[in-house]
Amino acid sequence: MIEIKNVTKQFQNETAIDYKDIIFESGKSYMLLGASGCGKSTLLNMIAGIISPTSGSVIIDGVNMQERSQKEKDKFRIKSIGYIFQDFKLINDMTVMDNIDILKLEGINTQGAFKLLGELGILEKKNSKIKHLSGGQKQRVAIARALVKAPDIILADEPTGNLNFAIGEQVIKELVRVSKGKTLIAVTHDERLGIYFDEIIDMNEMTSGMKDVISPKEVE
Amino acid sequence: MLKFALKNMAIKKVQIILIVLSIVISAGIGVLAFNVSNQVSDGITENAGYYSAIIGPSGSETQLAMNTMYFAEKPLGTIPYSVVSSLMQDQRVRSVIPFAMADSYNGYNVVGTSNEFLADKEIKNGQMFDNNATMQAVVGYNVAKYNDLKVGDIIYTSHSANSTETHTQGITIVGILRETHSSYDNVVFTQIRTLWEMHDHGEEGHEGHSHANVCAVLIKTKNDAYAGQIVSEYDDKIVTDEHNDTHTLQAIVPMNAVRGVLNDANNTKYIVYVLCAIILIMNIMIISIITLLNMYHSSKEISLMRLIGISMGKINLLYIIQNSIIGLISTILAFGVSRLCLLFMSDFVATYGVVLNMGKIYAFEIIILLGVFIISVLPTAIWTLVMSKKDSISD
Repeated sequence: MIEIKNVTKQFQNETAIDYKDIIFESGKSYMLLGASGCGKSTLLNMIAGIISPTSGSVIIDGVNMQERSQKEKDKFRIKSIGYIFQDFKLINDMTVMDNIDILKLEGINTQGAFKLLGELGILEKKNSKIKHLSGGQKQRVAIARALVKAPDIILADEPTGNLNFAIGEQVIKELVRVSKGKTLIAVTHDERLGIYFDEIIDMNEMTSGMKDVISPKEVE
Repeated sequence: MLKFALKNMAIKKVQIILIVLSIVISAGIGVLAFNVSNQVSDGITENAGYYSAIIGPSGSETQLAMNTMYFAEKPLGTIPYSVVSSLMQDQRVRSVIPFAMADSYNGYNVVGTSNEFLADKEIKNGQMFDNNATMQAVVGYNVAKYNDLKVGDIIYTSHSANSTETHTQGITIVGILRETHSSYDNVVFTQIRTLWEMHDHGEEGHEGHSHANVCAVLIKTKNDAYAGQIVSEYDDKIVTDEHNDTHTLQAIVPMNAVRGVLNDANNTKYIVYVLCAIILIMNIMIISIITLLNMYHSSKEISLMRLIGISMGKINLLYIIQNSIIGLISTILAFGVSRLCLLFMSDFVATYGVVLNMGKIYAFEIIILLGVFIISVLPTAIWTLVMSKKDSISD
């Protein structure tokens, strides 16, 4: 279970996001909807331990993320979190398998990669370089890399952002299918895809969005 | 980790080949210059130390040493054979070897001497000539090879390399030397009496020959002190031959003579070292800049790996492994290139009587290569350390 409690995030003392308390139950799939800048990606990054909240707590399975060291957060992210980034975060000059095998650096077993690539329909591309793949194929590689380590939590940041609706829908369907039994939190702005998720959370309602921080001088 | 490092290197192969080339050229030249200059210096000193003293006509001591030890330059002139006879009676002397360079065979020098002169040389075919006989010759490896000579053949020598007129008396080849990669490969060796007979034309004189002169006498004394005494006694000594002609002698310690040559060579050596050092420093800077630029361009890749959870420690290790591989390959190649160049240079250096040993490794060469290896890894280690300190993912 993931608990978001009284979390705020400030960026360079200029803007901030206030989150209402949110609970993500284990094994369920969530779709986070909301306008750009309402803090959806920031929330995913906080759950992944990539960034820390300015105040409040992100508690995962009873452990407060802020109490973990950076090393522990890294370890947690590599073992328990499968993160699908909006811009894929793949090494373009390397092959599909090399991009998945990169996880071996941290001792992750990637033997299930072929099966996953097969399920996602891109097994024949396993030796192709990323730069030779289409956007949809890259997205599938990113999904395969996120799921190959069998994480408990899957975070997907705009997984259909670079795709047209038809391909995006297919990717989402596959993502939900292969994530069955895991906690899936996917950020998207396309409401039509909501039918594939257990829950839809409108982040516009869950946050006060990006707002200017009033400096003490301005108060005076 | 190694497999991934190799794959990561493969995608930057052009950049890596340039880095490796840059290191190989600079380190290879440095190692080669150091090795050759030291081997030549050691080789010349070793050759010079073979004889305790050389006595010959007055003139340039370097010319006397170079002529008798490396068959280079022309002889200074001749001295009476009585000098040899007198030294043979000297109790301080262990061996006396007469030396005369006269005549030519197809451009190769003909040296008249005793078989002791070739005592440390190996005969490939046939046997050593007999000191008590005449008209026998042992030829150097190249003389036999390039003139298609074999044991039993008779050769006809001429007065000089430019002369087409040959002596009527032929010299029988009794032996062929094994290849030495030195100036000995290019010489015809015969008894000193053979040269006298060839130039005798029937006149009888001292020692039974009218031309009983030698160009020099090579001496091995029983100890170094005796060598000093003999040099003092014979240097500037005036002797008279059978025709009452006077000859002023010169006596040298060959080691001292070549030391002068080596001092000049050392100055050249230091210039080479300075040039190598400049090349090396420039390359250190180039390698560092290329590596740092490489790491800068890799920062996207590093942040990508950090985002998916690869620890900074593993990333550091990955890049250090990559640069260690580059450093290792470069230093091995630099060493290999230096040895290959050594092989090509060996024939040239052999003309100075020095055989370059491919297996000879000086401690300083290892230090140069080790230094190059460290330099190729150091910028990455510093970069990764800095990156660790300001890990972009931790806020």
